[in-house]
Amino acid sequence: MDPDNSVLIFVELGPDGSILPVSLECVTAARKLAEALGCGVEGLVLGSSFGEATQELSRFGLERVYVVDHPLLDIYHPEPSCAAFLQACEVVKPRAILMGETLTSVDLAPRVAFALSTGLITDCVGFEVDEGDIYFVKPVYSSNVMATYAFATEPYLVTMRSRVEDPAERRDEAGAEVIGLEVELDASALETVVIERTLEEEEGPRLTSSDIIVSGGRGVGGIEGFEQVAELAALLNGAVGASRPPVDLGWAPPKAQVGQTGEKVGPSVYIAVGISGATQHIAGMSASRTIVAINKDSKANIFKVADYGVVGKHEEVLPAFHEAMKEVLGKGGVE
Amino acid sequence: MKIIVCMKQVPDPEGPQDCFAINPETVRVEPRGIPPVLSLFDENALEAALQIKDDHGEDVKITLVTLGGRVSNAVLQKALAVGADDLVKVEGEALESGGLDSYGTASALAATIRRIGEYDLILAGRQAADWNAGQVGIFLAGLLGHPAVTLAKKVDVQGEHVVVERLIPNGHETVRTKLPAVVIASNEVGEMRYPTMIQRRQAKKKPVTAWGTSDIGFEVAPQNRVVLKRLFAPEMRKGQCHLIDGESPDEAGRSLAQRLRNDGIL
Repeated sequence: MDPDNSVLIFVELGPDGSILPVSLECVTAARKLAEALGCGVEGLVLGSSFGEATQELSRFGLERVYVVDHPLLDIYHPEPSCAAFLQACEVVKPRAILMGETLTSVDLAPRVAFALSTGLITDCVGFEVDEGDIYFVKPVYSSNVMATYAFATEPYLVTMRSRVEDPAERRDEAGAEVIGLEVELDASALETVVIERTLEEEEGPRLTSSDIIVSGGRGVGGIEGFEQVAELAALLNGAVGASRPPVDLGWAPPKAQVGQTGEKVGPSVYIAVGISGATQHIAGMSASRTIVAINKDSKANIFKVADYGVVGKHEEVLPAFHEAMKEVLGKGGVE
Repeated sequence: MKIIVCMKQVPDPEGPQDCFAINPETVRVEPRGIPPVLSLFDENALEAALQIKDDHGEDVKITLVTLGGRVSNAVLQKALAVGADDLVKVEGEALESGGLDSYGTASALAATIRRIGEYDLILAGRQAADWNAGQVGIFLAGLLGHPAVTLAKKVDVQGEHVVVERLIPNGHETVRTKLPAVVIASNEVGEMRYPTMIQRRQAKKKPVTAWGTSDIGFEVAPQNRVVLKRLFAPEMRKGQCHLIDGESPDEAGRSLAQRLRNDGIL
């Protein structure tokens, strides 16, 4: 297939060098888009000293994987990363670019859109094809309304919400051609300088991969209430989540935020404590298989999406629930 | 030091879903029975500006900029009450929310800010609670030729630089860039403070500059790069909520545990 005019996926790697699940979900989405456009699917990865990742990436059914390896791309920095991305686009000449919606693409995608004088559709959850025209679907009004958009410019530039598509399946043999791209980047030209960088150690189960999540909202009342939430999560071997207010108020760390601008999660069990159920929060957790809500307000929106609920003050209900769970699970917690 | 904060009013995003009525003819959302409020991330942007003012004292002047088809002074009054010094609002048909894409919105903001002239720092929220596009701040920086720092959780001005603590995957970093710059706030900045009654009264006397599109040379918007085609209601998850009762909250908590165990959930 024509190497130009492809759908190009911006592939992101995690701290351990593994491909982010959302990038593999983009491969699935890109295949559907490429079918509608009648073109191929390619990947682009930016970084430095990759190791196994680029070989691994060739196993997901992409036609080509472009690799930009440069010391300035070791950790995402807007200026060199955007410059490298644009230089790669000059070679690849994509018709459409897909990125997973991540903290990196939230910064990168608008910069790329501006530089390429093209439109950008963020937080996309799917497309519709109608008589050859392609419409991109995204939630608006804090997920209370869905909108479809068409592009008036090319290349199309889209960030995809996580957990909308299944990740592409890994194949045994490496199929894609891996092509290294040279870029010119100038460290002395950087306008924005990183003074300090703090990477947090992962403690306990991760929000995005955990099978059980216990989340707290404004209703937990403070840091103490949040500790109760965390203790329950520990007992159930689950991850700690939060709606937006506790993060704003400093009761919970930013990485715990579940919702439209936080993580999108879909565990087997999601326990919402003191969460009213604003639509933007529901947007991040409605894929959960079972939702349990504890809230003192019987009219709270969370009960409309929950499967099990207790109307009551968390400070009275939670300790009893915690103790009873401990008993039914035995001493060992969740196996 | 002069800080410009870009703010937008939106229908209250916490309102129930059926308040967001869709007009399929005009392809617009017509809010019913919910008040306009300040977009939440814009409140965070203003809070970041106020924190700078807390640290640097009264020589910091905060100017609010807002655009729209029509703008309610009452909504912006809250932003003046918490400590902004004045408001520049630009109204006109061409500025109606939903008519402009993000590039158009950024172009109108850039025209307004050029007309204002002097400034050191521009703050904006990471995305608006209506169209959730998350692009205007970076486009604005691009149009004005300033560096942009996104996902800010703490903003400080040190001499000719702005120092920003920002979110990154698995952590945070502190960056420094030269003023003038555009900094885009995330909710981790913290909730906007509440105004006192006295501040609310004083806010009514703060200067408001009202411009039309001709005042900023924006009679004709640039061609939209993305075109809104259709709006529809989302499919909402409907749980069949089993409410667990008890004689006491304690008993309800215990019953919940037993029920989840019996149903094989936990």
